[in-house]
Amino acid sequence: MMFLSIRQLMARKKQSLLILLGIVIGSSAYVAISGMMLGFQTYMLDQLVNNEAHIRISAREEILTIAEMASYPEASHVFWQIPPSGRKDSTRIEYPLGWFKKLDSDKDVAAYSPQVVAQVIFNKNKITRVGRIIGSQYERQIKVTNIENYMKAGTFKAMGNSGNRIIMGTKLMELLGTRLQETILVSTGHGIPQPFKIVGAFETGIKTIDEGTSFISLADAQKLRGTPSEITDIAVKLFDSNWAEEKSTLWKNNARDKVLSWQESSAAILSVFKTQDIVRNSMTISIILVAGFGIYNILSILVNQKRRDIAILRSMGFSPKDIVQLFFNQGMLLGLIGGAIGLILGFIICTIMSHIEVVPGRMSGPGNYMIISFNIFIYIKAFSIAIFTAIISSIIPAMAGGKLEPMQIIRSGDQ
Amino acid sequence: MIEIKNIIKSFPNTPTPVLKGITLKIEDGDFVSLVGKSGSGKSTLLYIISTLDTPSEGEIFYDSKNLKDFRPEEIYQLRNRNIGFVFQFHYLLTELTAIENILLPARKANEVEKRRDFAMNLLNTVGLEGKAHRYPGELSGGEQQRLAIARALVMEPKYIFADEPTGNLDSANGKIIMDLFKKFNQEKGTTIIYVTHDVDFAEIAKRKINLIDGKLV
Repeated sequence: MMFLSIRQLMARKKQSLLILLGIVIGSSAYVAISGMMLGFQTYMLDQLVNNEAHIRISAREEILTIAEMASYPEASHVFWQIPPSGRKDSTRIEYPLGWFKKLDSDKDVAAYSPQVVAQVIFNKNKITRVGRIIGSQYERQIKVTNIENYMKAGTFKAMGNSGNRIIMGTKLMELLGTRLQETILVSTGHGIPQPFKIVGAFETGIKTIDEGTSFISLADAQKLRGTPSEITDIAVKLFDSNWAEEKSTLWKNNARDKVLSWQESSAAILSVFKTQDIVRNSMTISIILVAGFGIYNILSILVNQKRRDIAILRSMGFSPKDIVQLFFNQGMLLGLIGGAIGLILGFIICTIMSHIEVVPGRMSGPGNYMIISFNIFIYIKAFSIAIFTAIISSIIPAMAGGKLEPMQIIRSGDQ
Repeated sequence: MIEIKNIIKSFPNTPTPVLKGITLKIEDGDFVSLVGKSGSGKSTLLYIISTLDTPSEGEIFYDSKNLKDFRPEEIYQLRNRNIGFVFQFHYLLTELTAIENILLPARKANEVEKRRDFAMNLLNTVGLEGKAHRYPGELSGGEQQRLAIARALVMEPKYIFADEPTGNLDSANGKIIMDLFKKFNQEKGTTIIYVTHDVDFAEIAKRKINLIDGKLV
C-alpha cells in the first residue's frame, strides 16, 4: 500500500508540505531548545558537581537546648535566669581517621580530600575583603575537583603543602588590587594576620567563588586557624556523581558529622532545571500537537474524499487492514520525513549556536563559545515525539477508513 | 459455477424485503443480463452474488462451497483472483495513470511485473493504445469506462460483475463496452453478469434474468 500512499501524498503537495512544515518546526524547535537548555544545565552541573565535591562531610551544627544542660554535673542545683541558647558548632570533624578508613575501603569512592574551610579576612594595604579559604593537599584536591581546568595563571600544584602560598580567584585579586607574586595578609579574626604569596589565579565564571574563595595548603590553613591536625571538611568524589544522594543517606545514618550530597546542596538549582525541562517539553509538545491535529484533519478529510477509492479497492480484494495501512502510511511518512528534516535542521541550528561567542566564563565552553548539548537522546526523543504524534493522529482516521464497507459507499451513491 | 438458494434481502426501516427468495444457477462461461425496473432489486442481487453484500437469508455457493464457510481472507482472495467489477461510474483512482489503475488488483496479488505485458495488451484491446501514462482526468467518459473494464480483467477473473456499465455512456460507447464483454466471454470464457436498463444491451446476453418486485420472472 506504500505505493498508493506515496501517490496520494504527492497528489496533495500543498497540504502535505504544510503538515510536514509543522512537524519539521516542532522537532527542530525541540532539538534547538533542548540543545541550548541542556548545554546550560551541563555547564551548571559541571560547576556544581565538579567544582565542589560529590559529597561533603563537615562538622555537625547543633542547636543548644535546656535538656542538654541537664546532663551537666550538679545540674539539679542550677537554675537559669535566661536559659542558654544558640548554636553548638563543632569546629572539626571528630574522628577523621575513621572516615579515611571508611572512604579508603569504599569501592564507589574515586578520591577524597581532607580540608580546612574557614572564613577569613584578606588584606592588601588598606583594602580589606572577607572571604573563604580552603586548605587542602593539592594532590588530593585536584582529584576531587576540576579546579585545575579553571587556572588562569600559575598552576594549582604551585600551592605546595606548606610555605604560605595562596591561589586566589581573579575577581578577588582585582578587588584587593593585587597581582601574581605579590603578598597579602590573611587572618581568621583571631590571632596575628599571616602573609601569603599569590602563586596562582583561577576563574570559574561563578561570581561568588571567583570573588571570595582562595586555596592554601592544609598545613598552612591549620596553622592559620591555630588548630594543628584538625580538619573541618572532607570533600569526596565518587566514580559516578549520580550515586551521591544514595551514598550520603547511607553515611548519614552512622555519622555524627554532617554529610551532604551535591544534589542536596544544589536542590534549588536542580528544581530550576526541572522547571526548565517542563517548559521545554510543554512548548515542543504544543507545537507538535498542532502538527498532529493537522495530520488528523487532513487524513479525516482524505478518508471522506476517498470513499469511492476505498469501495473499489475493497471490491478488488484489498482488506480493511490494507485500507488502514493506506492512510496510516501517509501519517507515518509525514512523521518520518518531517522528523528527519527537523533533526537535521535542529542540528544545524545547534551548530550555529555553538559558534556564538559569549562573555568568558558565562555559559561558555572552550574558546568562550556557547555550550550546546548534542546529546544523542535529544535527537532520539525529538524523533520519537514526531513519530508518536504521527501514529496517534493518523491511526484514528485510518481505522475509520478501514471500517467502511464497500456497500455502504456504493449505496450512498458516491461518485 | 455460482448457485444461489432462496436469497432474501431486507433493509432496516423497509416494510417488505427487496429480494424475496431468489434461487438461480449461473454456469461457468455464462453471459447473463439482469433486468428490471428501478427498485426491482437487480443491483442488490448482483452485489449479493458478487460477495460485496450479504443476504438476510439464503445461501450462495461458489463451485459448491458455501460463502458462509469462507474466512474473510478467502473472500478477499476470491475477489482479487476470481472476480472483476465494473461499476456505472468508473471509480478510477485519479492519482494513478491508466496502466497503474489497470495493475491495481495485480499490486494486491504482488504480480505487477508478471502482469504488466498482459495489462498493456488489455489497454490495446480496449482501444486505449498509447494512453498508458495518461491520468483518468485526461480521458473521455467512454475511455474511462473501458479502462475500468481492462482493470476488471487484468487478473483474468472467472467472473465479471457489472452494474449498469453503460448507464453513463452514449449509445456508441455503450456498444463498444458490450462488444468487449461479448469478446471476453467468447474468447476467454469469462462468466459475465451485468445489470442494465437498456433493452438492446440486455438482449446481447445469452441469458436474460428479469426481476419484478424482488422476484424472478
